[in-house]
Amino acid sequence: MEYAIEVHGLTKKFGNFKAVDNLNLKVKRGEIFGLLGPNGAGKTTTIRMICGLMNQTEGSIKVYGYKIPEERKEAIKIIGYMAQRFSLYEDLTVYENMEFFGRLYGINGINLRERIIELLNFLELNEFKDRLAGKLSGGMRQRLALGVALLHKPKLLILDEPTAGVDPPIRRAFWGYLRGLNKEDVTILITTHYMDEAENCDRIGLMNRGRLIAIGSPRELKRMAFGGDLVEIKVQGRIDELKDFRILEKKVDGENCSLKILLSDASLELPKLLKYMDGAGLKILCAETINVTLEEVFIRMVMES
Amino acid sequence: MKLLAIVLKELRQLRRDTRSLVMIAMIPLIVMLLFGIGYSRESGRVGIGIVNLDDKPISWIFIDSIKKVQTLEIKAYGKSIEEGRRMVEEGNVYAVIIVPSGFTEGLLKGSSVQVLVIVDESITTISSVIRSAMFAVTYKFQEEIARNNKSEFIELIYNSVYGPKVTNLESFTPLVIGIVLQLVPTTLISIAICKEKERGTFEQLIMSPVSRFDIIFGKLIAFFITTLVDMFATLGIAVLLFNVNIKGQMLDAIMVSTVFLLGSLGLGMLISVLSRNQLQANQAAIFIFIPALLFSGALVPIDMLSPSARIIADFTPMYYFISAFRNIMLKGLSLWELSQQLSALTIYATLMMLTALIVLRLRVD
Ligand SMILES: Nc1ncnc2c1ncn2[C@@H]1O[C@H](COP(=O)(O)OP(=O)(O)OP(=O)(O)O)[C@@H](O)[C@H]1O
Ligand SMILES: [Mg+2]
Repeated sequence: MEYAIEVHGLTKKFGNFKAVDNLNLKVKRGEIFGLLGPNGAGKTTTIRMICGLMNQTEGSIKVYGYKIPEERKEAIKIIGYMAQRFSLYEDLTVYENMEFFGRLYGINGINLRERIIELLNFLELNEFKDRLAGKLSGGMRQRLALGVALLHKPKLLILDEPTAGVDPPIRRAFWGYLRGLNKEDVTILITTHYMDEAENCDRIGLMNRGRLIAIGSPRELKRMAFGGDLVEIKVQGRIDELKDFRILEKKVDGENCSLKILLSDASLELPKLLKYMDGAGLKILCAETINVTLEEVFIRMVMES
Repeated sequence: MKLLAIVLKELRQLRRDTRSLVMIAMIPLIVMLLFGIGYSRESGRVGIGIVNLDDKPISWIFIDSIKKVQTLEIKAYGKSIEEGRRMVEEGNVYAVIIVPSGFTEGLLKGSSVQVLVIVDESITTISSVIRSAMFAVTYKFQEEIARNNKSEFIELIYNSVYGPKVTNLESFTPLVIGIVLQLVPTTLISIAICKEKERGTFEQLIMSPVSRFDIIFGKLIAFFITTLVDMFATLGIAVLLFNVNIKGQMLDAIMVSTVFLLGSLGLGMLISVLSRNQLQANQAAIFIFIPALLFSGALVPIDMLSPSARIIADFTPMYYFISAFRNIMLKGLSLWELSQQLSALTIYATLMMLTALIVLRLRVD
């Protein structure tokens, strides 16, 4: 399996302080990988080292096989980067910013004009193309920054909190663009604070205090956090014990009883559980898996670590 | 192509930066107004020099009475006739009065003495002011020191010289150009680099496949062009509006300006390394400019400074530039006759550029 990003033993020290601590991470080609973590977890530092904007103190980084920082020159040709802080020229217009960066990527003349128009249409920025970047709203700025990152058709998009401070509907639209790009085989490494957004990722890495504390798909992470899937079952009658299953919580409501049960994998064990209850003569009123939010997972894991 | 993209981007940003534009336009204008109009309206006092070869009491009384003349101002003292003649020829003063040795002795004996006046005849209104003033002061002096003797025994001998015909504005033009060439590029480039640091735009810039040299040279070229335009505009105003005359080759003037300008650009880059933001860069540029101005030799002649101050002047690039530009503009010398100034400026420019290119790192951390 070829990876888009391979990071091994990555460490960054600022003086004595370890902003990133022995981080191991592999991002597969074609996936959307989310890096989550509280403020100061080291997400931006990690991303900057991957982009070769900052040298690592220790550890190795490979982007599409290119070693960073040694082969950064080659690597940046396939990376599209959006910094956490808006870092385009506020005193240039939308079009001028794209034109400038396009030229730096060696795109010129009619090709450049066509590429810019294509991106402006894709990002719905066409009507603002002559507005100074400094006069754009937050959402428009983010779209412009994405546009600049996409100019040279990168294989890997690295986005550092692209949706920070942007309204939910615009965030949703932004994710629409990202999913569209991902369908065209663009690998995406993204950091975010919004847990609802993180659900869009194929895989997530949870960071805290410079360390990667968990990695996996949103579903796997939820299981990891609670040690399995949570299901809620309402039955008629009384129940004190369930042979093989762990009851986390029990609420008695007159005749009925409501149970929260932890299963290691609900898709396999829930039928078994129901069959067992049926066999025990309990009448099942309702059974559902509890949808744990990533937010709960996040809080739990950060607290534990 | 990438280089061109950066040049265009810098010029575009500059066009939208009102504050910098105002600075570029105002520096030459303000300096010209201060020195040009302020000084060129003759205050009625004509600068002269004195060479006292007698150095005895009565000669000093004579010089004192010259000092009291409303229309004359003693600007310099010389030690020999040759030195006096040079002062007039170079346009430092309009006339030099040479009091001969034996002046006091002669007057005491009652014999007649000759006072030589070397006068610049190139501006007739000024030379006639000097003649009439000298006639009046000598007449009055005779009356005072020798009431009994009414015969004229101080004889004024005029020696005409054609000086460079330098008006006051002309003598300040090299300074105005020097100020433009030092202040404008230094400020522009340090601000441009600090702005990128401050706004975090380097982060995006260095993620694109552009070399550090393209970034730096793009900026250098942009501000090089801007400063040259500013300099030509200033010279144009001086020549067309104020009738300033450039005697030497324009090409020589441009060459020496270019070398000094490159030094200023290097200096600006160094400032940007040491400054955290635009404000600091601005302050640093002015902070360095003030001593450069003081020791440039244009406000106070270097010969009048103390020996230690002269050593500082030896290390002030502006001093060499103004000296070279003045010689080209006012005396019509060619650049090859100014090898000392030219080599000093070349060393300065090379040193600044090299250190700046080595020290200037474009990184995020
Ligand atoms: N240049 C630097 N010098 C010193 N310390 C730094 C530097 N950059 C980052 N840090 C520190 O490293 C830690 C990690 O910072 P980083 O910006 O990577 O966090 P983050 O996860 O991106 O946080 P946020 O969600 O707030 O963006 C922080 O404690 C920060 O103060
Ligand atoms: Mg961050």
